[in-house]
Amino acid sequence: MAAAAKGRGVGVRVFLVVFVFISCQSLIDGRNTYKRKLTVQLIHNPTSPPFGSDLLHVRAEGVNDTLHYLFYNQGAPTLLLVHTDSSSSTVKVNWTQFLDRNTSGGLTVEPQSSILYSSAVVFSRLWEYDDVNDTAEASDDFFPPYELQDFSWANVSLSGLTALVCGTAPNTMNGSLCLKLSAFDSEGRDESWPRLLHSANSSQLEVWLNGLLPRGNHSRFMLELQAVSGAYPLSRVDVRQSIDDEYTPSIFKIFQWVSSMNGSSDVLGFVQWKPVAYRKSHPVLEDATPCRHSDPRPQRGEETAASSVLIRAFYSDPEIMGLNVSFGLAGEPFYNSTMFLSWTMLVGVGSPPVDSFSPLVLTIMVVCLGTPLILLLLGGVFVFLYKKRKASTLGYEPVN
Amino acid sequence: MADFGERRNLLGDEDEDEDSFADRQAARGPGRLMAAICDPSRLLHRVVVLFFMCFLGFGSYFCYDNPAALQSQVIQDLNLNTETFMQLYAWYSWPNVVLCFFGGFLLDRVFGIRMGTIIFSLFVCVGQVIFAAGALVNRFWLMEAGRFVFGIGGESLAVAQNTYAVNWFKGKELNLVFGLQLSMARLGSTVNMNIMGWVYNQVALAVGSSGHTALGGSLMIAAATCVFSLICALVLAFLDKRAEKILNKEQGKTGEVIKLTDVKDFPSTLWLIFIICVGYYVAIFPFIGLGQIFFIEKFNFSPTQARAVNSIVYIISAPASPVLGFLVDKTGRNVVWVMIAVIATLAAHIMLAFTFWNPWIAMSLLGVSYSLLACALWPMVAFVVPEHQLGTAYGFMQSIQNLGLAVISITAGAILDSRGYLVLEVFFCACICIALMSVVMLYFVDYIKGGDLNRSAAARAKLLKESTTDAE
Repeated sequence: MAAAAKGRGVGVRVFLVVFVFISCQSLIDGRNTYKRKLTVQLIHNPTSPPFGSDLLHVRAEGVNDTLHYLFYNQGAPTLLLVHTDSSSSTVKVNWTQFLDRNTSGGLTVEPQSSILYSSAVVFSRLWEYDDVNDTAEASDDFFPPYELQDFSWANVSLSGLTALVCGTAPNTMNGSLCLKLSAFDSEGRDESWPRLLHSANSSQLEVWLNGLLPRGNHSRFMLELQAVSGAYPLSRVDVRQSIDDEYTPSIFKIFQWVSSMNGSSDVLGFVQWKPVAYRKSHPVLEDATPCRHSDPRPQRGEETAASSVLIRAFYSDPEIMGLNVSFGLAGEPFYNSTMFLSWTMLVGVGSPPVDSFSPLVLTIMVVCLGTPLILLLLGGVFVFLYKKRKASTLGYEPVN
Repeated sequence: MADFGERRNLLGDEDEDEDSFADRQAARGPGRLMAAICDPSRLLHRVVVLFFMCFLGFGSYFCYDNPAALQSQVIQDLNLNTETFMQLYAWYSWPNVVLCFFGGFLLDRVFGIRMGTIIFSLFVCVGQVIFAAGALVNRFWLMEAGRFVFGIGGESLAVAQNTYAVNWFKGKELNLVFGLQLSMARLGSTVNMNIMGWVYNQVALAVGSSGHTALGGSLMIAAATCVFSLICALVLAFLDKRAEKILNKEQGKTGEVIKLTDVKDFPSTLWLIFIICVGYYVAIFPFIGLGQIFFIEKFNFSPTQARAVNSIVYIISAPASPVLGFLVDKTGRNVVWVMIAVIATLAAHIMLAFTFWNPWIAMSLLGVSYSLLACALWPMVAFVVPEHQLGTAYGFMQSIQNLGLAVISITAGAILDSRGYLVLEVFFCACICIALMSVVMLYFVDYIKGGDLNRSAAARAKLLKESTTDAE
């Protein structure tokens, strides 16, 4: 409710801004132009086995801080994000310990004291259920879940600032689950929907399911997510309503799963998404399907650490919260219709980025509301002059 | 659906110079004795006729907004995107770009009012059946063809309905009858909006699943209203023929003369009125066509609530039109009223675009301003063109209105598909702003020309009195 009120407040405020003849240029320039220097590297295991294990490291160096994104393609897919206050912090891997998967310390960020904040997102399970009555309420008709740590993951393929990794479920030939990580050096948004606004302090993870054979005739899916953090867990999901759906048509909400210090409104880190998934790889509006999520609940750290190599290696005593994102509502087409499902989220530090109107919308509104006013003024002046002239010519009439 | 009703409503009493029934009745003298209900010269019989007259247009108004009432079902069952969905509205408008000029001519010279009404009712009926059949067999082109045929009948049927009204009620309860007919039209739209979702669910239950079969089934059921209207047309033809024999009266004529060469003589003020008409209506009808899902997605309404709020514009319009018409008649100053209506509509669209305020507020405002505009805008044409050009001017106005509706419907669908509702609403605001600019210009042009448009009713009456005394 409070969030809704806040959204409304923002709406009214921006609405007033439109009326006050603010030049669009200043708004565009007012955007965050903070830039980071990005280096992407794959850290290979010098001892080589197991085959195909790649540790992706994206280093985003700012003026006086550094963000490290780490992504490992074995076990449950995990994105680890470490924020340090030094521009010269480094990542160290002790491969023996790292692959041993028994104790923490296989992965460290040096110097340890520079770490401001760290969090990680683990994709632990994929649930499937047969929604015979088309209610989209997952009760207990679940098929055995896909444990993502058991998937066989291919090598990470890099192109520019994006990395792609796909995996297939054990004992199946068809279909795959893919994750695409995009790191950003500055503010912007992706070309394809949901076109989330990202900043230099965040990276985007798109996860999609393609061609995996459904086990029921009315299959729907649910993704289990776990958020790990060192000190402050990602304990609540805030909803922000936005009147602006120009980047994600027909979606007026954005959810952010945030970590904050006790009792403080400052957000340390976030996972952000819009409640929409797409049923085709090149979607049109009708391929959008709504999603819902459950409330975050504390999870047992040991289990997650056992499934995710990165969590085990980096955290000694992880605090874990988990939630499920379910795709599709009652009445929406089932997974079976397209055998494709894609969903996108943003992971970052600090406050989540906030959308603003595009210059297109602002320009149209200013021109449209401004022109009639100008016309009214000009017309008024013209009529006034016309009347005055008429009056003065009339004044001479008796002379003739 | 184009606002033909309003125009007739406000002009009805200055159309033709036919004798009224009263004269003929006197001429006929006391003849055979008939029960009041069977006697065409008695009020009771006219009430019966009025009943059929009102339901003559019910089917076409009911079915016109079928796509809007079943928007999500149509899109989902047929796998459409919004742009192709809006084609259904565009195909209704295309034939009327041309037919608006010829509807009156066809009725007067070719078919005659009775035959013409039956033919147009048949078009409406057949069109709706083709439309429903297209859904049944899941062929979208067939549905488009159905809407095209439906469009040929729909708008011309409104002309026929008004001609009947003039024919039977001139010099009697004509304005009331026009008001009633308009209210019936709005009622048809409202009932459609609120009932079709339920019909669809029932059909889906009966056939076992939702899908194009259920959609086709419910559209076929909707076609029953058109059949009912067709029956009304047949009954009316019979009663009219009978009255003709008994009262020796002529078949009704629209009295419309269309001369396309008149267009070059249209004054600048008339062109401004045209721009207002197009700019305004394209922000109303396509919006209502797309409204249902908008209210569901942005305001989290249930489908039933969304349909209800979408139909509020029509619900308000039914009682508000006569009241506001009276108000405008009594006060004059049409340009100011139009300006108020346009600004209120702009405000409503801005509310829908930029706030999360309850859409009942914005839609009610839209309903009132829409009725106000109809009452104030259409009669203005009569002030700026001579009477012999009225038919051409109105035909032209409706034609470009239909052209605008067809083009903007498709554009609106495309904008929604790629840019979402905010940009769509901003686009509608832009259309309204174009109308607003034209109103402002109209105000000044009329002021400088010393025109009649913005005079108060009192000043108009005074002017009229002076001119009649001059003539004497």
